[in-house]
Amino acid sequence: MGEQAGVVLAGGRSSRMGRPKSGLEWHGATLLFRTAAVLARVTGPVVVVRAPGQELPALPDGVETVDDPVEGLGPMQGVAAGLAHLRDRAAGAFVCSTDLPFLHPAYVRSVLRGLDDPAVDLVLPTVRGFRQPLAAAYRTALATLIEAQIAEGNLRPGMLLEHCTAVRPDDASLLADPAVAAADPALDSVQNVNTPQEYEQARSRPGPEVRVECFGALARADRRGPRTVPAASLGEAAAAVDLALDRHVVAAINGDHIVRDPRLPLVAGDTVAFLSADAGG
Amino acid sequence: MAPGGYFGRALVVDVDGAAASGRGVDLDERVLRSYLGGVGLGTWLLHRLTPAGVDPLGPEAALAFVFSPLVGTPLTTSAKFAVVAKSPLTGLVTDALASSQFAIAGKLTGNDAVVVRGRADELSVLLVDADGVRLEPAPDLAGLSAAEAEAAAKQRFGRGWRTAAIGPAGERGVRYATISHDGRHAGRGGLGAVLGAKNLKAVLVKSGTKVAVHDPAAVLAAARDLRARSFGPATAKYRELGTLANLLAFNAVSTLPTRNFTSATFAEAPKLAAEQLHELRGVARNSCASCSIGCEHIYSRKGGGTQRMEYENVFALGPLCGVSDPDDVFAASARCDELGLDTISAGGTIAWAMECAERGLIDAPWLRFGDGAALLRALDEIGRNDDGLGALLAQGSRRAAEVVGQGSIDFAPQVKGLEMPGYEPRTLQSMALGLAVNARGADHNRSGAYEADLSGRLDRLDGGTAHVAAAVDTEDRAAVMDSMILCKFLRGVFEEPFPEWARLLSTVTGWDLDADELRATARRIVQAKRAFNLREGATAADDRLPARMLTTPLELGSGRTATLTAERLQTMIAGYYAARGLDADGRIRPADRPELLLDG
Repeated sequence: MGEQAGVVLAGGRSSRMGRPKSGLEWHGATLLFRTAAVLARVTGPVVVVRAPGQELPALPDGVETVDDPVEGLGPMQGVAAGLAHLRDRAAGAFVCSTDLPFLHPAYVRSVLRGLDDPAVDLVLPTVRGFRQPLAAAYRTALATLIEAQIAEGNLRPGMLLEHCTAVRPDDASLLADPAVAAADPALDSVQNVNTPQEYEQARSRPGPEVRVECFGALARADRRGPRTVPAASLGEAAAAVDLALDRHVVAAINGDHIVRDPRLPLVAGDTVAFLSADAGG
Repeated sequence: MAPGGYFGRALVVDVDGAAASGRGVDLDERVLRSYLGGVGLGTWLLHRLTPAGVDPLGPEAALAFVFSPLVGTPLTTSAKFAVVAKSPLTGLVTDALASSQFAIAGKLTGNDAVVVRGRADELSVLLVDADGVRLEPAPDLAGLSAAEAEAAAKQRFGRGWRTAAIGPAGERGVRYATISHDGRHAGRGGLGAVLGAKNLKAVLVKSGTKVAVHDPAAVLAAARDLRARSFGPATAKYRELGTLANLLAFNAVSTLPTRNFTSATFAEAPKLAAEQLHELRGVARNSCASCSIGCEHIYSRKGGGTQRMEYENVFALGPLCGVSDPDDVFAASARCDELGLDTISAGGTIAWAMECAERGLIDAPWLRFGDGAALLRALDEIGRNDDGLGALLAQGSRRAAEVVGQGSIDFAPQVKGLEMPGYEPRTLQSMALGLAVNARGADHNRSGAYEADLSGRLDRLDGGTAHVAAAVDTEDRAAVMDSMILCKFLRGVFEEPFPEWARLLSTVTGWDLDADELRATARRIVQAKRAFNLREGATAADDRLPARMLTTPLELGSGRTATLTAERLQTMIAGYYAARGLDADGRIRPADRPELLLDG
């Protein structure tokens, strides 16, 4: 069982934001949709952990949900619920909160790579001087340990460090990964939004720069050749080249997944190929 | 009285020495309704008129030119016909479609099909019209290209005749020779070699009667509607750039087979791209008879002349052989046209030979990937089919690999002996299944499962249940389109294909058809093709892909790896058999056999 998974914690109270962060609009989708979809680009199964009875906005296709069995015990309870849900299918998981609008797949890959060492149970980055337990990688087998610690009343995220083998990459070691350095040089992947002001500030940033190219009949004279546009979602990229994502148009992100959902997130460095949906010949 | 759009009979022509005789065979309405025409009716005729185990190049082998109920109507893209026979390349059923006035004239000889058997003593042409058949010696046409033979026949017999002819490759028994007319080719599976083995350079047809449709006003209204829809976005790609538009797009999504399927991207693809050539070389656009799409794009050649280019011939003679100079690819395409060679099989076989030569498995040090002159030399040697390398490669990649041995079959790019089209199966895993199970062999026209892979509805690298359903569905749709017959480039204009096609056929034939019946028809046609192959000795072991596809993953630019294991493919094949109602060994269940109307 070598597969790696993703866990998004959506059950927080969002008390400083004043409304659920999971439903905050983000470039045609929601913050939760974006975060889950970014993980889905990197990992196998992705699960969203929610509070009992919590209503969630639409999720990307294939993303699962699981209820946090006990409300109010803090994020480690959610981490345990997510890891437990996945432990039969995945050896490790990237765990994050909902509110990481600039999370980049390169960061996720780099952190998950820390679990390649079988002796490592936890990859806990320290970025900008702060530990990032909600932008970290965990062995799914840690679910049992976390549940036991919570049962003893130990709810602190740092409690795991006393009971398992952890590596703690800092800014420099994360940026030593060329992919991270190129795509996320400021390590914005860990920047969360807790207040309406922080959200507005983040939302007002221009979208990441992505390279867009139209092919075939879509490549009319004013759309010919690759171009760089700011776009945080597939819909924004299509709009930038005056395309509608109807049944005659599909897109390939980084030459890989063929998609047509305008809500799908784009990140810095992505390439988007717009193709005619009719591939016959 | 025959249903609308039909004459209710096939003409069976027996060529014997210096003469030919024709005999009308009544086609029961039940058979017509069960198989429609084109590929479907052709398969039924092949069952009935070809003895089991027949040598496809022997006199007993039947070669059927099959029309359809829509031929001769004003419906756009309906001027098409199928040529159906046992393939000398695969030993199984093959059927190829082509479009031209030959379809209309052939049908208006008063026949829903013309089936040719036997052999002439000397190179001859067969003439069929409403008055009957006759054989005319034509030794003077030997060695001519199909186009030259067509022109000569027109001069000799008059303008009213429409000619389907073979080139030198068909005369010389190249197992992937084509039958051509008006620049279009019934290309796949070696039908030209079958005609050539009968010592027939050409079949000429001349219209002499009319055919009635059930509801002429409704057919005219449907034709107007379909024509209007054919100008919409679903066909824009074909109109504006033609099928060659696939090349750069497929390169962008790692599904452009390159250097004998060792890569799925070709760094020099932009040199061959439609977007580039259209601006620099595009000279004209053309349509098949009765077609409002106009997918044919014609480019100028260096030094003069023009050449029609399609995705498949550019893929096969370009990236697959590592050749990037457009003039080399244009010249190779023109050479295939002159010789009468299927470009996909020619390119696939030469690409395999290039890899063999580079590995030192065959003694042809001049044959290297990327060398356009070597490509042309190889084509010429194949066209001569006299001895040495040309004779080896004229057999196709499977037979050639069986001769060369040394594991070369593992990278021969073929399924059931038919060379693979330009769709990389590791990165298109619905298509991988379609290629593996299709009756004709590796084929993109009878199995268009790539549509699902490129639709965004499933993960194209993770073949599973959804991919099986997609492969079955696209195969069914192709079976109906190829039998009624409409061009598949129209398929995008039908939002609900089966109900719309049922209505269309009802107005022509007068049958009260619905979508469910048409789906059952599709399933029957697919089953009948498989039944023919089983009769000829095919087994489940033939439903497979070359070992290279199952043992060598491809790395995508995104960092993902495209892996198609034998186990995954086998699971999909088992799912396909189940969905088709076949037994675990891919055989037709006895209870389903009567429904096929093949016996008795």
